[in-house]
Amino acid sequence: MRSVDREDGPLKVTGAAVYAADHHPDRLAYGYLLTSTIARGSILGMDTGQAAKAPGVLALYTPFNPVKLYPYAKEENAELTPPLQNTDVRYYGQAIGLVVAETFEQARDAAALVITRYSAQQPRASFTDGLPSAAPPPSGTPVVDVLAPGVTSIDQALAAGDVTLTATYSTPVETHVAMEPHATTAFWTADQLTIYTATQGVRLVVDRLTETLGIEAAKIHVINPYVGGGFGNKWGMWAHTPLTAAAARALGRPVKTVLTREQVFSVVGHRPPSSQTVSLGAAPDGTLVAVKNDGVSGKSASNNFYEPVANLSLVLYGSANLHVSRKVVTLDVPVTTIMRAPQESNGSFALESALDELADKLGMDPLDLRRKNDTPIRPSDKLPWSSKHLQECYTMGAERFGWSRRSSKPGTVTDGDWLVGLGMATATYGASRGQASIKVRLRDDGRAIVSGTAADLGTGQSTVFAVLTADGLGIPVGRVVPQLGDSATPPAANAGGSGSTSTNGPAVQLATDAAKAAMVTLATEHDKSPFKGQEVTFSNGEIRGGGREMPFGDLLTLLDVPAVEATATSPRSPVRDHAFRSFGAHFCEVRVNRWTGEPRVSRWLCVVDAGTIVNPKTARSQIAGGIIMGIGQALLEDLRIEPETGRFGNATMADYLVPINADIPDIGVEFLDYPDTLLSDLGARGIGEFGIVGAAGAVANAIYNATGKRIRDLPITLDKLL
Amino acid sequence: MTSGDLSRRRFFAQAAVASVGMTVPMSVEPGAPEADGLVEVAFTVNGKGERLRVDPRITLLDALRERLELTGTKKGCDRGQCGACTVHVDGRRVLSCLTLVATMDGKRLTTIEGLAKGDRLHPVQQAFIDCDGFQCGFCTPGQIMSAVAVLREGHAKSDEEIREAMSGNICRCGAYPNIVEAVKQARS
Repeated sequence: MRSVDREDGPLKVTGAAVYAADHHPDRLAYGYLLTSTIARGSILGMDTGQAAKAPGVLALYTPFNPVKLYPYAKEENAELTPPLQNTDVRYYGQAIGLVVAETFEQARDAAALVITRYSAQQPRASFTDGLPSAAPPPSGTPVVDVLAPGVTSIDQALAAGDVTLTATYSTPVETHVAMEPHATTAFWTADQLTIYTATQGVRLVVDRLTETLGIEAAKIHVINPYVGGGFGNKWGMWAHTPLTAAAARALGRPVKTVLTREQVFSVVGHRPPSSQTVSLGAAPDGTLVAVKNDGVSGKSASNNFYEPVANLSLVLYGSANLHVSRKVVTLDVPVTTIMRAPQESNGSFALESALDELADKLGMDPLDLRRKNDTPIRPSDKLPWSSKHLQECYTMGAERFGWSRRSSKPGTVTDGDWLVGLGMATATYGASRGQASIKVRLRDDGRAIVSGTAADLGTGQSTVFAVLTADGLGIPVGRVVPQLGDSATPPAANAGGSGSTSTNGPAVQLATDAAKAAMVTLATEHDKSPFKGQEVTFSNGEIRGGGREMPFGDLLTLLDVPAVEATATSPRSPVRDHAFRSFGAHFCEVRVNRWTGEPRVSRWLCVVDAGTIVNPKTARSQIAGGIIMGIGQALLEDLRIEPETGRFGNATMADYLVPINADIPDIGVEFLDYPDTLLSDLGARGIGEFGIVGAAGAVANAIYNATGKRIRDLPITLDKLL
Repeated sequence: MTSGDLSRRRFFAQAAVASVGMTVPMSVEPGAPEADGLVEVAFTVNGKGERLRVDPRITLLDALRERLELTGTKKGCDRGQCGACTVHVDGRRVLSCLTLVATMDGKRLTTIEGLAKGDRLHPVQQAFIDCDGFQCGFCTPGQIMSAVAVLREGHAKSDEEIREAMSGNICRCGAYPNIVEAVKQARS
């Protein structure tokens, strides 16, 4: 595998990449969202008189003067109902109006003039208070038991363990904080809608707008080639998008609405808080005999998304007896939604911490305990893993990181004022291959265009397209032009679930082959072709045959044909007798100041077995990014709800802390190279979520090793270490 | 006190009144906003002279993006917390979201669009590509404008110093280690 610079690099470093908020159609008007200032109740009235008279105001939509939006037909990980269609308030910061004005300043200031009267009720806003009355989930089985023959309950299996451990781990509300605030620019040409909107998949927006605007999909063109980060938060379509589209239709002019950063915290969803009570039972040699995880997730009253946080305990380590349960605490808070490695990032923090605690009780090295319970089958259903090389990850990581220098006695390694600890955890994420269609077009200028509705959120997906197309055609990567994020192109995978490359990659390869075949047909059948009637091949970007070779662009030019193209569809994986998942190992060093308790991550290494890595350069960055988000989860991130008001109290980028440059050391990333050929010929499994899974657990384990303090409640802030 | 200072104070006074939305008639003074409430401001952006009549409430960031259609400069928070809107004013790095464009009279601005010389990228821009110092690219213009200034200020002597000096620019994709490498490459 060779490393390639991002194909969109020159655009992104010069400010020329155009994001959703960067569009400026003629006669553009500006939308500004009004949001609720209570968490539960209803709106009695909205005094819009002053605002409507304010300079530049074009329209003011509220539940009392709404734009018509039809109910959503399908349930997504977002709002269940479109905005402004009734006076209900379900959370603090809910969209309750849209002001449209000639300028942004006019819209913003007019919004401040609206006075809203509510009938307010006390919100349910404390996850902790709700835990005793946690209820079965709205979807999924409440309990899964996998028990060995003759075992009647997980507790019986646990009791048979020579060494047992039970502990409860909790995680707070976290949120994505993608750098690009959600933005939508919409305009209509007759009955045709063109919409630039930040999304992880343009098809998702088409589907949703079709439902709520009540128009055919063919009338909706969604364009979003550059996305300023997503992490799950741009999968759902949120309130500002249909409002902006409908307002543009009503006003007969383009409208742009960009959420303020504060609005991003409430309007577009967050990762729910969680609690997991983990019990492990082991034989004296460390063999797990029982794994039990009772998981509880927060869930917004506004939708049904929750994290079945315990699920990872069903698949990560071998044990003859497994039990997980799923419960929810329903809260009057903004919408709960998917965030990078939903359920598994939280699930791994609990499981990896518990394993470390068990190792301590057993007097075992935590790495040895994990080695001991590595398994070639998926424990929940006994299906063999398609391609698992976790032991090699452990070995390579331990060696390169210097794991043998870890002191088994916590709190014994110091460096000046700093207590130094090492920790590790298993990294993992599931893999799949869905259906995708891709088009490859070979042009007479010698370039190839590869297109599909995929999204590049910063993942490097467009560069992956370029690499695979270039490799298939035998031309330099720079001669491939990827076109992503356009709903007019063939339906490819949206960016989510670490499934982009595993799903779209094979389709790019098929489409490239199909385009080559189309080129060969043209070469051998076109009347003016010098290759007419000959046996030819396509290699190194050239048609070859009859002792002659010609670059495809030259041949197209000669024949006066602008391009040939082909679209191919790669089906979803038919394999049902194997399970697919990536594995790896995190190793980290954390320093804790002995006087202030401040924790600092000082070293990191992650060894990754994720199948084929198409472009190691961008893949390394993506894994490191996941780890860095995991460091944030471990040490910083905590979106606080005021119990009285249901308001997020720290909904700014200065108050909801995410890692900054000074928080992050060098991050080492090593890839094994084992193509997963059972998943696809390409053999790529996907890496978007992988890095964050296990990262917080590794940090917590290193902090225990440094200080002897086991912190089971994220984030691990210095007050917990004093 | 210069006349620039005087008029700046009036801009703020007008901005404060306007932001609560009251339509109070303003007394006309020399150098004050004109009857329509707009103020005139002239400055250079990337070497090109610009003259705008603007709402005194408009920030430099919104003026660049919505009036001059220089959308390379990004709005990540609009509160001076993320660094995505960093530009250079008279050679110094400035958060354009916390700067009213009305204060830019006579100033010399450089934005991300003005860094390259034609097709030749600025060494920092090239280093960001070489070192993969970005993923989604949204914070990148601000990161690069900060990096150029940090290097010029001599605040890039060690990895630690680079990390500290670049910490006003948040990158949620987590490109930090590569950004440090890019600054080092550009330094040498």
